[in-house]
Amino acid sequence: MDYALATLWHDRQRYLPGVLAVAFSAVLISLQCGLLLGLFSITSIPVDHTRADIWIGSPQVLSVDLGRPIPLRFVSRVAGIDHVEVTEQYMQMFGSWTKPGGGSDLCIIIGSNLDDGNLGSVDELTPELRRDLTEPFSIVVDEAELDRLGVTGIGDTAEINKQRVRIVGLVHGLKSLAGPYVFCNLNTAKALLRGLNPPDHTTYLLVKADSPQGANEVVRELRERYPDMSVFTSEEFSIRSRLHWLTKTKAGIALGYAALLGLLVGMVVTSQTLYAATVASAREYAILLALGIPRWRVSWTVLMQSFWVGMAGTVLAYPSVLLLARGADHLGAKVLLPTWLLAAAAVVTMTMAVFSGMLALRSVRQIEPVNLLR
Amino acid sequence: MQPELPSLKGVALAKGFGEGEIRTTALKDVSLELYRGQLALLMGPSGSGKSTLLAILSGLLAPDSGQVLTITDDGKYQDVWSMTPKQREKYRLNECGFIFQGYNLFPALTARQQLEIVLRWGNGATYREARKRSEEMLSLLGLGAKMHLKPAQLSGGEKQRVAIGRALIKNPRFCFADEPTSALDWHHGEQVIELLRAAAHERGATILVVSHDARILNYVDTSFHMEDGRLLENAEPSAKPTPVSAGMWRSA
Repeated sequence: MDYALATLWHDRQRYLPGVLAVAFSAVLISLQCGLLLGLFSITSIPVDHTRADIWIGSPQVLSVDLGRPIPLRFVSRVAGIDHVEVTEQYMQMFGSWTKPGGGSDLCIIIGSNLDDGNLGSVDELTPELRRDLTEPFSIVVDEAELDRLGVTGIGDTAEINKQRVRIVGLVHGLKSLAGPYVFCNLNTAKALLRGLNPPDHTTYLLVKADSPQGANEVVRELRERYPDMSVFTSEEFSIRSRLHWLTKTKAGIALGYAALLGLLVGMVVTSQTLYAATVASAREYAILLALGIPRWRVSWTVLMQSFWVGMAGTVLAYPSVLLLARGADHLGAKVLLPTWLLAAAAVVTMTMAVFSGMLALRSVRQIEPVNLLR
Repeated sequence: MQPELPSLKGVALAKGFGEGEIRTTALKDVSLELYRGQLALLMGPSGSGKSTLLAILSGLLAPDSGQVLTITDDGKYQDVWSMTPKQREKYRLNECGFIFQGYNLFPALTARQQLEIVLRWGNGATYREARKRSEEMLSLLGLGAKMHLKPAQLSGGEKQRVAIGRALIKNPRFCFADEPTSALDWHHGEQVIELLRAAAHERGATILVVSHDARILNYVDTSFHMEDGRLLENAEPSAKPTPVSAGMWRSA
């Protein structure tokens, strides 16, 4: 067995704080980033839960919820292009929700085509819900938003932009960040947004292409020809929406700082653990130095120990991360943990552990074999 | 049976510690000669400078003045303290073994690993070679059945034997031992001294032992006495060594 690993196992109680510190850092980084991803994935729900290949909106639109009205006549720009199969209107704008009991809040009105095979209604709207939504001024909201909207359930009424609406159904898993999503048909949306959305305007045009390559070609062609509108594939628009919120809100910075703090705490504890362990073995190392064994071998051992501390901490962290993510999900906070995130967190924490080992190397520099003779 | 030329010479060595008024002199004009195949004892009261002399002779502590001359293969002498630090490290690696007070064994490693680590880290030996040589050495030391045990599972005498094995595993020309028996009862202390004497006689090593234990005098080939940083008149060994545990190291 490797000597560094043998020492680590033998003195596991001594190294435990370091291992736990690394695990703590790995858990914190993974969960913070997972929460961040989960949080900002909410902003791209309208893109991710629908079936359009291409989104066309106002110029330089930063995020799906920040679209400005565009003229409906843009449909004709799209219709004649190769690879385009279907084009559809889609409305999404902020509205003012007045609770039945008084008070108001922001909401996001989403109006889309509700026919079978449409592009713009979220997957969570079942055929029954879509049928119910054909009735004017009927809406569907997420069950988790009822409190925020000041209503109790199906059948309740409230006002959006001073117009009465009635809840005809509930969905799950579509809780929003800025304001609750309110799903309705296109005509209802237009009526609710009268004054904000000029006549013959829409927020987005959704396009279905014949193939993914076809979609790319359509996007390229429309971008070249029409600089007065934004054109994105749905993947691009999803990422753009998330990145906008990530960079423009302080939430990202706050979570980033918390993760950084976790790293620092992990580094200090790990470094101190390794330092103390090396100092405790100073006499044994001093013998080796007296025997002419180069100092770098001892330093290398400390670095190997930091590597194994990092490995142990990372391995310990993952079950905890998955468990905590499940717990967070249970509490209604979405945590996304894609493989690349877990791998990146492992790389960052391993780097931190080895860096801690480098900081602990000052203990090796203090070892002097001649001190054994005093 | 001393060879004609000393294998290690200390010439006019002086060493002081501290500055100004608090400066103390540890060594004053000390010269001595050590020979191949010889077990030498350096005695003296605490603070007499014997550990300082050992540190200087072994290349661990630089003297203020004087030379430590080690014989080369062609019979010439080289000053250990004129070497670069790198050369001195290499000199210690190739020529010197150490046994210090206490055992200073890695608690996590088995007796065999304590020896292997020296060969693997110091001499770049392969795992297989280091293991083989370590096993041979521990067998010679009577620890064949205990080489898989960690220090906590060994007695004091056994631990010191592992430390001796670690010092001698490289087959060094010189071995420096600082109070190697101080932590042991006399029975085990005697065993350790016999082992060191056998190592000197049978392996041709030059072994210098620092001790305040007068009982060791009966086992050594020569002895030096220090007081206040000075070497007293070179004393003849009080008893001629009789071969003990003959052939102990022959097969190593």
